[in-house]
Amino acid sequence: MAELVLRNISKRFGGLLAVDNLDLDVSEGMILSLIGPNGAGKTTVFNMITGVYPPSHGTITYRGNKLNHLRSNRIIRNGIARTFQNIRLFKSMTVLENVQVGLHCRTKSGAFRALFRTPHQKQEEKEIIDRAMEILEFLGLVDYRNEYASYLPYGDQRRLEIARAVATQPHMLLLDEPAAGMNPRETAELMELIIKLRDTGLTIFLVEHDMRLVMGISEIVTVLDHGQKIAEGTPKQVQENERVIEAYLGTKSKERA
Amino acid sequence: MDTASFIIQQLINALFLGSIFALIALGYTMVYGIIELINFAHGELFTAGAFIGIIVLAALQKTGFVESHFVITLILVFGMAMAYVAVLGVAIEHVAYKPLRRASRLAAILSALGMSIFLSNGMMLSQGVSDRAYPSILGIEGFSILDARITYGQVFIIVLSLLLMVALQMFVNWTKLGKAMRATAQNQTMARMLGIDIDKTIRVTFMIGPALGAAAGVMVGLYYGSVRFDMGFIYMIKAFAAAILGGIGSIPGAVLGGMIIGGVEVLWSAFLPSEWKDVTTFVVLILVLYLRPSGILGEHVSETRV
Amino acid sequence: MKRFGIFMLLLAFMLGFSSMAAAKTLKIGTLSPLTGPYAQDGTDILQGVKTAVAVFEKAGGIPGYDKIEVVPGDSACDGGKATMAANKLINSGVAGVVGAYCSSATIPASVPLNQANIVQITPASTHTDVTGRGFKQIFRMPPRDDVQAWSTVKFLEDGLKIKTLALIDDRQTYTVGLTENITEFAKEKNKIKIVALEHITPGDKDFTAVLTKLKRINPDVIYMGVYQPEGSLMVRQAKALGLKSKLLSEDAVFHPKFLEVGGKAAEGTYLTFAKAPETKERKEFEKTYKNMWKAKTVGSYGYYAYDAGMILLETIKKAGTKTNKMVDTLRNTTWSGVTGEIKFDYKGDRKLAHVIWIVKDGKFVPYWDPLTESYF
Repeated sequence: MAELVLRNISKRFGGLLAVDNLDLDVSEGMILSLIGPNGAGKTTVFNMITGVYPPSHGTITYRGNKLNHLRSNRIIRNGIARTFQNIRLFKSMTVLENVQVGLHCRTKSGAFRALFRTPHQKQEEKEIIDRAMEILEFLGLVDYRNEYASYLPYGDQRRLEIARAVATQPHMLLLDEPAAGMNPRETAELMELIIKLRDTGLTIFLVEHDMRLVMGISEIVTVLDHGQKIAEGTPKQVQENERVIEAYLGTKSKERA
Repeated sequence: MDTASFIIQQLINALFLGSIFALIALGYTMVYGIIELINFAHGELFTAGAFIGIIVLAALQKTGFVESHFVITLILVFGMAMAYVAVLGVAIEHVAYKPLRRASRLAAILSALGMSIFLSNGMMLSQGVSDRAYPSILGIEGFSILDARITYGQVFIIVLSLLLMVALQMFVNWTKLGKAMRATAQNQTMARMLGIDIDKTIRVTFMIGPALGAAAGVMVGLYYGSVRFDMGFIYMIKAFAAAILGGIGSIPGAVLGGMIIGGVEVLWSAFLPSEWKDVTTFVVLILVLYLRPSGILGEHVSETRV
Repeated sequence: MKRFGIFMLLLAFMLGFSSMAAAKTLKIGTLSPLTGPYAQDGTDILQGVKTAVAVFEKAGGIPGYDKIEVVPGDSACDGGKATMAANKLINSGVAGVVGAYCSSATIPASVPLNQANIVQITPASTHTDVTGRGFKQIFRMPPRDDVQAWSTVKFLEDGLKIKTLALIDDRQTYTVGLTENITEFAKEKNKIKIVALEHITPGDKDFTAVLTKLKRINPDVIYMGVYQPEGSLMVRQAKALGLKSKLLSEDAVFHPKFLEVGGKAAEGTYLTFAKAPETKERKEFEKTYKNMWKAKTVGSYGYYAYDAGMILLETIKKAGTKTNKMVDTLRNTTWSGVTGEIKFDYKGDRKLAHVIWIVKDGKFVPYWDPLTESYF
């Protein structure tokens, strides 16, 4: 059975059916991309998986556990992490602190121990810093560790978002348009990074517009249009699918009008 | 009294008043920072702290414990007042604010005002309408710098409030919960997405903020010598102004704002007609907000809130 | 139509019964701050009047009435609230009103009471304007501000024989009246120089800035024109700052609470307050009051309120509830109360003077009499 299973998922916002009866399987250790024209419902799918809002209909199962009505913080503890399309760093925290916040959901000290800083707590804090440094090293951000997040160059802010998501020690990473706003060099670096992350054993679930990135690294590509799945397969299969071409061209011509 | 002593004395007065305003302002700023709500009941929580202090102190005094164990007495009085008010703070959050978290902001503000009136009247009924004399255990002994006098009680209160402020700063910067708090304040959705339990974080905020207010309440009682059910009001106004002035949501801002409000109040009275004192305080507030709408240290807040 | 007739009949019965029932209860109103910073004095006043009613009813009450009811009004030391409370009392049909406390509440509240022609006796307000506006039905128990100011200046000139004086007030009608009157009287003989006039905000707790300013000027005496809560805090802060000036205050600070909160710092403070003879009746009243309200002490205005309540009830017993007759009776009778002999002049003021008290060993002790210019 796949790691993440979506069955008959629908999401309705008032009169708008954003996602319509979607089935989706994400298998362990693969890179899967979800693509589609603007407004196809891609981010909505991510939001339902991560508990921003529940689906109107259908079930989401992760490693056999139903996620439907869990709050985000519970879902994260199950091993799913995500980034957002618009950067959501904690701007008035340092790079290191941003990563530390991500790590905290995996530590045990409760409210009272944190208030009184027991020796155990201190030990744990030290481990957290060590672990955070490892992650920053892995993502090539270690030199910026004491900078405020808001002072980082754009591409590095994106990287830091990924670093922070990785810090929650997920099995599956949901990346929402990670290449948005990046220049070609940064995008190329990002591709390498995503493959590197997958090689550590992470499952990568990607929403992306940049076709070079999607086609370059995905094993499976799923295409959404108006909330419905219109195609699924290897990058090559999808690129040759007529419905996909129509959907993209159709939308583009509408956009121009 | 020469001019140097006069100035030193007024600075001591300002520092003393400022530390108390700052301590109370922290409660406003922390709660605002995390759920963007002005906790109007904070002034009453401050008063409740003062009452718990007097109840504990009066009980200890009957047994003669105060004379024999002075330090333990102080720890008990502050500790119990802070603990009780921390619980009260969490209870208020649970009853009055949590159910309205997704409602309009106006609803939450009205709920806060209602809570303030409820607590104030509750204290009036249970503790009486008139001033209660605080057992004066701090005394008026002290020492002089030139001709300026400072009592040991004042030194104790200034040092304790500075310690509490430093401890808070350390907590917020260095601990897991502190970081969770800052993360929640900056972006609640993202914080939740990183596995932070928002409800717990808000509860902790509603423990610490009110507990600091309670400490300030005990300090006011111990030093000034009396408490009354409605004494929170005037402190609420000043501390609220301090929190806004420093940049609401910013912890160093609240401390700075408290010191500025205390300083303006004292120094204005010291050199200029004292009847304009309160007017001046608020003119300063208006001027600062005119030049920096998010307060002196409030830039990060305005950046992250859209 | 028939039904309507029955309904009217029922209505007439109900109205008839209720007016009959009302005829058997005599209502008197009180106005005093039951909330806010001066609620202590306000409560003392209400309790004083209620004590008077209890004592009066025990002694037989008023023929024609089953019951005497006290209708409390909260004046909150605020003109607007006091006026509203006065209107409420008028609507509830009180035969007379005891109140209010703060002059700034009593003066506005007296306007509707005057228009409704209801007798008003204030147990506390000492501003000259309370009785100075030509109202025929208003009376006052304590001595006036100008009398108090005169006693104060007399004491400073001839008792303490000081040269410099600093004044503090809290910008309320009552205290400003005092500091203005003191300034006037001090000018007359020009023996005392007023070196400072400072203002504080009621409700504040910290007065160190102003007190430090006065420490630097170092006047012989500082006059605290404030109410008890602020006065109690002020003496403590003056002691802590090491002020050498003597402290002098007035009747609004003269309250057991001042001794309790001020503690050791209150020692040596002078205060102006009328001195009543230690009669048997006074002791009796104190006993009744303390029993009735489970109080350790009787608040200073409890005495005036009790007397005000007693003479109001006596008057109604003698003259009925017609205002003109009540006013004549009040004016032409010499009453004997727990605050001494009560005889009103044409304005509605008593001939009563303040004496100077000093706090000694945690008690108010009579110190100097401005009329005889001698120590007690």
